[in-house]
Amino acid sequence: MDALSSLLDGFAVALTVQNIGLALLGCFLGTIIGALPGLGPSNGVAILIPLAFTLGLPATPALILLTSVYYGAMYGGRISSILLNIPGDEPALMTTLDGYPMAKKGQAGEALALSGIASFVGAFFATIGLVFLAPQLVKVALLFGPAEYFALFTLAFATLGGVASRNQAKAAIAAALGLGIAMIGVDHQTGVPRFTFGEVHLYDGIDFLVAIVGLFALSEVFLFLEHKGQGKAGAADMKIGRVTAPWSMIKGSIGTMLRGTGLGFVAGVLPGAGASLGSFIAYTFEKRLSDKDKTFGKGDPRGVAAPEAGNNAAAGGALIPMLALGVPGSGTTAVLLAMLLTLNITPGPLLFQSNPDVVWGLIAALFIANVMLLLLNIPMVSLFVRVLLVPPRYLMPTVAMISFVGIYGISGSTFDLMVMVGFGVLGYVLRKLDVPLVPVILGVLLGNEMEKNLRRALTISDGDWSILLGSPLAIGLWVFAIVGFLAPLIIGRYFRPKIADEAKGEGADPD
Amino acid sequence: MIQFDARPVFVAAVFAVAVGGFSTAALAFEPTNSECIAPANAGGGWDFTCRQVGKALYDLEIVPNPVQVTNMAGGGGGVAYAAVVNKRNDDNDLIVAASSATSTRLAQGAFPGNTMDQVRWLGTVGADYGVIAVAGDSDINSLTDLMDKIKSDPSSVSVAGGSAVGGWDHLKVLIAANAAGIDDVRTIKYVAFEGGGEAVTQLMGGHVQAFSGDISEAKGFVDSGDIKVLAVLAPDRLPGEFDKFPTAREQGIDAVGANWRGFYAPGGMSDDAYAFWAGAIADVYASDEWKAIMADNGLMPLDLSGDAFQAFVAEQVAKTEALSKEIGLIK
Amino acid sequence: MSDRVLGVVCILLAALFIWQATQIETGFIVDPLGPGAFPIIIGVVLALGGLYAIVRPDAAPDWPPPGRLLEIAFAVAVMLAYALFLPEFGFVLSTAVAASLLGWRLGSRPLAAALAGIVIAVGIYVIFHLVLGLSLARGPWGF
Repeated sequence: MDALSSLLDGFAVALTVQNIGLALLGCFLGTIIGALPGLGPSNGVAILIPLAFTLGLPATPALILLTSVYYGAMYGGRISSILLNIPGDEPALMTTLDGYPMAKKGQAGEALALSGIASFVGAFFATIGLVFLAPQLVKVALLFGPAEYFALFTLAFATLGGVASRNQAKAAIAAALGLGIAMIGVDHQTGVPRFTFGEVHLYDGIDFLVAIVGLFALSEVFLFLEHKGQGKAGAADMKIGRVTAPWSMIKGSIGTMLRGTGLGFVAGVLPGAGASLGSFIAYTFEKRLSDKDKTFGKGDPRGVAAPEAGNNAAAGGALIPMLALGVPGSGTTAVLLAMLLTLNITPGPLLFQSNPDVVWGLIAALFIANVMLLLLNIPMVSLFVRVLLVPPRYLMPTVAMISFVGIYGISGSTFDLMVMVGFGVLGYVLRKLDVPLVPVILGVLLGNEMEKNLRRALTISDGDWSILLGSPLAIGLWVFAIVGFLAPLIIGRYFRPKIADEAKGEGADPD
Repeated sequence: MIQFDARPVFVAAVFAVAVGGFSTAALAFEPTNSECIAPANAGGGWDFTCRQVGKALYDLEIVPNPVQVTNMAGGGGGVAYAAVVNKRNDDNDLIVAASSATSTRLAQGAFPGNTMDQVRWLGTVGADYGVIAVAGDSDINSLTDLMDKIKSDPSSVSVAGGSAVGGWDHLKVLIAANAAGIDDVRTIKYVAFEGGGEAVTQLMGGHVQAFSGDISEAKGFVDSGDIKVLAVLAPDRLPGEFDKFPTAREQGIDAVGANWRGFYAPGGMSDDAYAFWAGAIADVYASDEWKAIMADNGLMPLDLSGDAFQAFVAEQVAKTEALSKEIGLIK
Repeated sequence: MSDRVLGVVCILLAALFIWQATQIETGFIVDPLGPGAFPIIIGVVLALGGLYAIVRPDAAPDWPPPGRLLEIAFAVAVMLAYALFLPEFGFVLSTAVAASLLGWRLGSRPLAAALAGIVIAVGIYVIFHLVLGLSLARGPWGF
């Protein structure tokens, strides 16, 4: 039980008054940063690095502060997803699918409380996994070469059908749009610009945050403008309801949370997959497994629990390649890595031996932050839901302006703001046409990685496509992808009359 | 409001901005509200350079107020370059982080319409030397072995690196291959990854056979025995614990590749201000604080400032352009 | 009908995309797949999706009356103007004006909208700039 005694040492490092105070501050700021559209865990951590310097913190307290911000932002992202239908950051994307419908039904408080618990379960077990499984999981990460990554991303898109739309063709259109947007910018493999029309601002491609904030937040403003005075859209008419999750709801989601945790954790361990893929896979898997009554997407609590457990578990998992290989598994861990390097700590295979106090102090801090976040989040639900009481004529301009600031404050580019307004209009039109937005974002997020890994694989094999089936792992992923793609089509044909009737009944809903 | 108390510098900076907007440049230049542009998002190498040097400038009392770091991402540094040339050309209180990536892109014409003469190059704060490595259990033991293997069967070796095709990690392999007498360097298979860490992971997983990167990226994996360094692309063996790595020159392959980190300033900066900033960068470089930062981050000595640095960048650009033409990256 | 328009737009977009993909200029060093192949695959998927939308369209959504479309166009114009003027006039003023205009069109009385705009602008400035230390647009007065 080496790990256990090291962990106890870690708690001894982390449990000082100053460190607990920093963790509390980090959790609080992180939750707010996560909830604000446009600011997510990665730029939240980046923003607060100067704070750590200004306070003159040594390595361990600085890390405790920043990882608390990281976990806090992962918790916080769900708040605006549920209350406003705007993902606070990219991992909270899937939480909009059932979280917002729950809020519409007057269950905002229940959704927030349940997702808070799911976040805790995901983060807690992922941190335990970090303690006991890190060395083994590093080996798993090494198994993934370009061919395996390509199969994994294909799996994500193959299981996309039916997740967010009744019309599979529209899901395909949305995914293709997202992938196409991802192609804009300098091609990483050859360095030539693509689809940039000579515009230097497009050379780095379109930031997915610009796309998310535009598509979700600004289109929400436009939709409200369309419906104002008709009492049809907007948060104003929502009831607050209860602010805790009933035990029966929690009990019904325990299995969901654990499955979401497992899937999210593994996705987090793989560099390049990350928290978004973790929450996505957790949601689609859960939908396939448990959605017997077609309640997912209409406010099913399990549709909130699965992605939240998934993305928080992925956040913990992503620390494994960062600490043990020095390879960031996500944007946030990239910033944490830069922070570690700044503090004279070089993550890598020897980190656990050379800086045990830092590593175990950090892991202990994760446990502390996680408990703190749960305690902070459950009572704060009643505070968060009050956002729904703000009249939309004040709430919507605030949301719009925060969206602009979030983007401008990070990139300092007015061009990004223009592009974001363009995405707002696109999002409005797509929502009117019942084209789902989630596949667009997924395409923007994963498109580059997917293409890069395909091309890396083919470079290594000199153009021989059989490399894509070159390992048992790759073959296994392809089998899952094919089954995941075909199963709903076959089942859909078998049950089609019933589904078609249901779709007709729901057809009037513009979202 | 703990946050407020914790950030007096920001409040102070804002206040100073409000009062100091109209300061006129006296004969000798005095910095007031200095700014450092990091031409990338927070967290990258340029961001690191800006923040560390900015902090050192303030700690050493070279500048009176904390240096404000502005992130201006886009175009691999091209957006910031264009903004400095077009909008901030006569700003005396502005420095911009740069590295070999900047000069490589300038040489390849990747900043459309911009050339290196449009800005003034201030100085360096160190360099990362390139390394070429293989997996710890590989049967290749020297750079000559590796090059012989590539010569006999180019498709048997895939080299992974952290930059794009034509980028710095790729060029290092080509420089070495060129020096080793491989004529058609286009036959070398180079696979581009996101950063050196990812490339090393692929090397350890056996998905590629060799790795091209910086010494700082490779260090931890060498210590753990996961990879072995075949050659470091420095003129002489590096100081300290890094001296166990053979140079390429020792093995008869005359290849040197240094990734410098430094700064440029707007082209219209006054001579006084230019002299001040070139001196300031040199002072930071000479300080003990900076020596410690360099040692911790695997930065190697490279001390150039003022005209010497200007000439160095010109030479780098010319060399990179010639090489890129030779291998067909640009026309 | 709306879906048929969507389908046609998708197919045109796909055609443009594929054509652009074939126009990408590469140097001599190209990986086996090249920079154009994957975009072409995406273009084909987009075109197929568009074709399906033409053949089997869903029921058309309720488009808003022209007056409401004008409202949305006005909001878009305000946002674009905001993006343009942000570096010129600084963060606080631009934000206050833009937020006031949006709030007014969203149903506030003009005075309340102006007041709310100022509160929003100053509030965001305090949280994002003073607390979080983000660099917002400075403008001629430094804020």
